[in-house]
Amino acid sequence: MFPYILNKSFYGLLVMLGIVVVVFFLFNILPADPARMTMGQRSDVQSLEAVRKELGLDKPMPVQFALFLNDVSPIGLHGTDSVSRAKYHYQQLFKVGKDEAIVLKWPYLRRSYQTKKEVSEILRETIPNTLILAVTAMVFASVIGIALGVVSAIKKDSWIDKASIGFSIIGISAPSFFAGIIIAWLFGFVLSDYTGLNMSGSLHNYDPFKGEVLTLKNLWLPMITLGLRPLAIIVQLTRSSMLDVLAMDYIRTARAKGLSNYSVVLKHALRNALNPVVTAISGWFASLIAGSFFIEYIFGYNGLGKATVDALGLADFPVVMGSILFCGFIFVVLNILVDVLYGVLDPRVRVR
Amino acid sequence: MSDKQNVRIVIEHKCEQLTNVNHPPTFKGGPEIADKKFLSFLFLLTLFGLLSCSSDKENSSKKVFNINLDQGVTSLDPAFARNNNNIWCDNMLFNGLLQLSDSLKAVPSIAQSFNLSNDGLIYTFHLRNDVYFHDNEHFANGKGRKVVAADFVYSFNRIIDPKVASSGSWIFNDKVSEKVPFEALNDSTFRVNLKKPFPAFPSLLTGQYCVVVPHEVAEFYGKDFRNHPVGTGPFKFKYWKEGEIMVFLKNEKYFEKDGNTQLPFLDAVKITFIADKQTAFMEFIKHNLDFFNNIDGSYRDDILTKSGKLQEKYRGKFVLLKGPYLNTEYIGMLVDSNMAIVKNSPFKDKRFRQAINYAIDRNQMVKYLRNSIGTPAYQGFIPKGMPGFDEKKVTGYSFNPEKSKQLLAQMGYPNGKDLPEITLHTTTTYRDLIEFVQGQLSDVGIKTKVEVQPGASLREMISKNGINFFRGSWSADFPDAENYLSVFYSKNYVPIGPNYTNFKNKKFDELFEKSYYETNDSIRFDLYHQMDNLVMKEAPVVVLFYDQLVNMYQNNITGYHINALNLLNLKRVQKN
Repeated sequence: MFPYILNKSFYGLLVMLGIVVVVFFLFNILPADPARMTMGQRSDVQSLEAVRKELGLDKPMPVQFALFLNDVSPIGLHGTDSVSRAKYHYQQLFKVGKDEAIVLKWPYLRRSYQTKKEVSEILRETIPNTLILAVTAMVFASVIGIALGVVSAIKKDSWIDKASIGFSIIGISAPSFFAGIIIAWLFGFVLSDYTGLNMSGSLHNYDPFKGEVLTLKNLWLPMITLGLRPLAIIVQLTRSSMLDVLAMDYIRTARAKGLSNYSVVLKHALRNALNPVVTAISGWFASLIAGSFFIEYIFGYNGLGKATVDALGLADFPVVMGSILFCGFIFVVLNILVDVLYGVLDPRVRVR
Repeated sequence: MSDKQNVRIVIEHKCEQLTNVNHPPTFKGGPEIADKKFLSFLFLLTLFGLLSCSSDKENSSKKVFNINLDQGVTSLDPAFARNNNNIWCDNMLFNGLLQLSDSLKAVPSIAQSFNLSNDGLIYTFHLRNDVYFHDNEHFANGKGRKVVAADFVYSFNRIIDPKVASSGSWIFNDKVSEKVPFEALNDSTFRVNLKKPFPAFPSLLTGQYCVVVPHEVAEFYGKDFRNHPVGTGPFKFKYWKEGEIMVFLKNEKYFEKDGNTQLPFLDAVKITFIADKQTAFMEFIKHNLDFFNNIDGSYRDDILTKSGKLQEKYRGKFVLLKGPYLNTEYIGMLVDSNMAIVKNSPFKDKRFRQAINYAIDRNQMVKYLRNSIGTPAYQGFIPKGMPGFDEKKVTGYSFNPEKSKQLLAQMGYPNGKDLPEITLHTTTTYRDLIEFVQGQLSDVGIKTKVEVQPGASLREMISKNGINFFRGSWSADFPDAENYLSVFYSKNYVPIGPNYTNFKNKKFDELFEKSYYETNDSIRFDLYHQMDNLVMKEAPVVVLFYDQLVNMYQNNITGYHINALNLLNLKRVQKN
């Protein structure tokens, strides 16, 4: 098992390296000057040169690339002076030459060109927000979606069934940026006296005199908007797979044994019916993280998607690279986990 | 509906009821389960309600001013005060030697007075001795210390330090003496030595790059001074969750007074960062924001009539304030005929550039596309509202399509025949405006293609002289026309400076250099008019309109004044 994981991790590293190479060179052929983007409308050569030097853009491209790789690589070559120590927070492995050392460290993602803030800090602040939004949206979609699916299957052709099918068609066909605006306007503006919700806002609020407050209510509208499409699909999936299962022989057998309706539906039928639903949920989840940008934008919710797209517009290379690397890392880890899981479940995969 | 149909429906309904009675639901437990689900749904709804009720009402006796900055704030370090939102925040936290009055005059701030040597090279500032930095742990006992002249020496040197790489170093780079630019003669006397005279220097010093910062704190935090700012301003930094919320509190020890009352009047300023302007406007309507300033194209019609008045439904609900804004919206044309992209295009001919200028109806444009926000530009590049602006002294281009056609015919392109197609570059934000221009040009026979580009790449193309026809805007960094005319000074050619049209004119350069040695304002303004007229005659730009500020605030806000530099000044604002 261990060599198998090691093998997979090695491939994972190669994928990450590939990401770095592609993003780095794509950025370099873009017709945008990151240094100029950090200046106001008026600038002179002196200031521009100073900024280029400060951002390391004055060096030839291969050197820039090597330096960047050295920064993001967990094993790198760095100076042993106090400035480098403070910058990279490394564990020295062994010394090379007089004042350099091979070190072990967390990847150093540099500072944003635009804000001069550490990219790792930007990720630390925005990733939890996006994850919370995606997880709650998925939970919301699954719970309500499965419930509605089951109800409409057992009450097939009733008004509940028709309503939930109609609703799910609307849900599937409404693009999230459109649904977002409508939902924000309806519940956050027109009905705000009744719902008490804001049109926009992040999880954190701050009362100037009382301090930080967590405003979970700001999660409701973006969560519902983001969950709407998966919800619609889950309703449909659950309903059809439930109808299939309910028509099977073993359900009749269960009924013949005199089991209560409750246990027939929930214990026997639902369990089997959920298989395709669970597959769909896990697939959707990944795309929710990536697809939450519009929602984050409309609701002014401070998440990873918004940070990345903003950075793209401003040619803020370190932020874009940081977030792409993070997403890449998550996918690589998930893939390794899935592979390992297959290996556990099916020994034939391992033998190969 | 006919009676027959009615009867049929009633019958069908009855039938349905009958079938339901005859055939009870297949699963006995059906309704039971549905009830349970319904209950859990109810439970969720209750939870929803509970969470929603958690109120976030503010302490009502305290006056908190709420604003939204849709563009976000990149840094609170004044060395990076390069955009409006950064400048607004820095203006609350910091002070410089001088500040701008509402009429854009440089008036005392930390400097009580200043004098200029006869040769126009040495500015000596006499500082107040009652100005203290905000309290901070990096001062002795955590108490903010007094501001002395040496602090200005440090702060100004910091702006020109290449290691800091401030976006404002252009302010001093070519102006101050290289040997000893800044000196502290004693604690209360500060001196700036210039390389050559610069009469607009006091105006320049009112900018946010030229504020005072304490070296103890700035050095300790280094780059992270951006979110640990310490200044002397009317408000002090309290909290910043980036992209979400920022809070400044009243500086109890602020040195400026209004009569006998200590400024500022507000207890706190709370800033949100909603990027979607329409959402932000709705928050304003809901009274969650006290101030709103950015009317975006998408809902301009909802707020303003075509003549620029507030729509009926909003009248009396809030205050709308309009005023000139030192921002010129223009279209630039590359004029240097030595360059290939000019040589092989009609732009090399002055008459062609003039023909474009005559072809555009600026009145229609401002009225229908901007709801009358802005003043159609029939004068020069220097905008309305700038000290010295005189609409009688500078003549630009009126709407005269006949004249335009005439000029084209003179060039050998009657009705635009055989005229090569030109490409106008813009960003999405200005697409409607540029498509209007495209239509107007085609009316006189000039075929134009519009190319929409992302902001970053358009900027790069313009600053590398890569395109010959582009939309641009130029807003004042400081309230002196030098700022605008420097765009046409030949020594500011790309990439040295902002002369994006590569305009080169000997007469202009002479006048420009002469203006540096002219301390008498009215004579200097006269030179500015001459230069502006010269630029207009050569037509390297199509000046479309001079921008206007539209500020809205709630009825309970008093003491807010608009100024043409679009500087948000909250220290005298009251919330009742």
